Amino acid sequence: MTARLDETLRRAVRDLADGAAPAPDLAVRAIGRGRRLRRRRRLTAGAAALVAVAGVVVPFVLLRPRPAPLPATPPATPPATASPSPSVRPTPGANWTVAPLVLPGDWVVTRAQLTGGSGNGFLLDRSQGRGRYVATDRYDGIYPAPTGSLVAVVEEDRPREVGLIDLATRKTRWHQVGRALTRPAWSPDGRRLLFTTDQRDHFGFVVVEPDGTKRTYPVSRQRYFCTDYCFFVWTRDGREVALQQTAQGKARSESARHPRSGVQMFSAENGLPTRFEPLPGDPAGPWAWSPDGTLAVVQGQQEPLLVETATGRVVNPLPTADVTWVGGDRLLYRPPDESGDFVLADTAGRELIRQPLPEQLAELEVSVAPR
Amino acid sequence: MAEIDGEFTMFVRERGAALLRVAYALAGNQYAAEDLLQNALAKAYARWPRIRGDAEPYVKRILYHDQVSGWRRRARRVEVPVAELPERPADRDGGQEADLRLLLLEALRALPPRQRAVLTLRYLEDLSVEQTATLLGCRAGTVASQSAKALARLRRLVPGLDELSSRSEVTR
Repeated sequence: MTARLDETLRRAVRDLADGAAPAPDLAVRAIGRGRRLRRRRRLTAGAAALVAVAGVVVPFVLLRPRPAPLPATPPATPPATASPSPSVRPTPGANWTVAPLVLPGDWVVTRAQLTGGSGNGFLLDRSQGRGRYVATDRYDGIYPAPTGSLVAVVEEDRPREVGLIDLATRKTRWHQVGRALTRPAWSPDGRRLLFTTDQRDHFGFVVVEPDGTKRTYPVSRQRYFCTDYCFFVWTRDGREVALQQTAQGKARSESARHPRSGVQMFSAENGLPTRFEPLPGDPAGPWAWSPDGTLAVVQGQQEPLLVETATGRVVNPLPTADVTWVGGDRLLYRPPDESGDFVLADTAGRELIRQPLPEQLAELEVSVAPR
Repeated sequence: MAEIDGEFTMFVRERGAALLRVAYALAGNQYAAEDLLQNALAKAYARWPRIRGDAEPYVKRILYHDQVSGWRRRARRVEVPVAELPERPADRDGGQEADLRLLLLEALRALPPRQRAVLTLRYLEDLSVEQTATLLGCRAGTVASQSAKALARLRRLVPGLDELSSRSEVTR
């Protein structure tokens, strides 16, 4: 770009910005919205604070008991319906924090947090035979392992590190991982963490063991061609990681998801490429694959899809790509209907069981794990 | 609480106009700019005790991330109409430069949010390619490619763009 053109653009962007008219009530309106946001965060933390007061022993770094009371009335509980499809389970009562929230398909809620991470939320403590939710309001991201007692935490102030809290020993250790990292993703067995690293000229993935041992594997995005959003996810057996592959020769636009030709697998042990699955979209994580590996749910260019992994053939569309494949032909997900409920559905997306969540969790991002 | 409100109000009073300019350049219109900025300021207010010494960079980070990720969530970009762009003038006279500048402004509004975010960071905030990449959480190569795409699109929408640049050089 020439210096002249540079200057023309600079002037034009500044002219555009000059179009902003004064907004006199900015502070007042922002304070109003900010207070509502803060109240919502406190509400989520407040309920579980009573659990802490009741004597649940958890790492002090995770709990900051608050005096805020629980809502006086328990959330409305819709009656268990006798309608054949779907059956609706009762909303958990006001004391839901004292036991794991079991979802249809026998999975449990392990963590609930504001989307984007503010630290406020709930965490299931399953260490040493416990099974209670504790309040969290300290970290910017909290990621419990799907099994075991480890919890990964991240802080915006420590962008190159991950903290590992062992709920059983109540110890926290911080480990250096690297630069330009995504949020951590646990392997399905809860023994390793996966990060995508997107440093300039150093794209790849990092596997971190609970003792802090890390292995970094660079991957060429030119050879394994990926554009738009590119990040590694675990496969269901935890032996490999998968990277989205952009379909070459097809039109790509900034205004739509880039077309995919499939996912390339790499060994999680040595970083070497292993195999390719022609999936026409992006799997959200390890649970997107069916237990036998023949089917997967992906986010297609236009919509979420159930596809065959061997051929990429689309079986049918689904309401969301963020699914957990809990059994042979059963999917657990939150439909995009703003209810916040979980549903157990068949592979065609027909709802079989609907499970409302406690009021405090309805608007939060929720993680689940096998019971 | 009163102390926080006072500090926050003072911050918005001092920096609100500058932040609104950034939001306007990102969003392209007053309503969307105010909404984008209010959301960012609300998040800043909710975390004020933690970010009070670093509030402006925090708000800017949210502005850029919300603008880009909001688009991702919507999956399909909300197009800014460009059908009413002024016709390219047939002759070059005194009023034509103003026409071209108007055309360029409309073309900037028509860019996809990520491309406009890159141009805003580079030309309004005067950040380097590396600083822009860091703030947007992408590689420097991505910033360069987004800039190139933005420029190619602007050239399509404003056929006289290079000529306008030459003219600017002469008249400066």
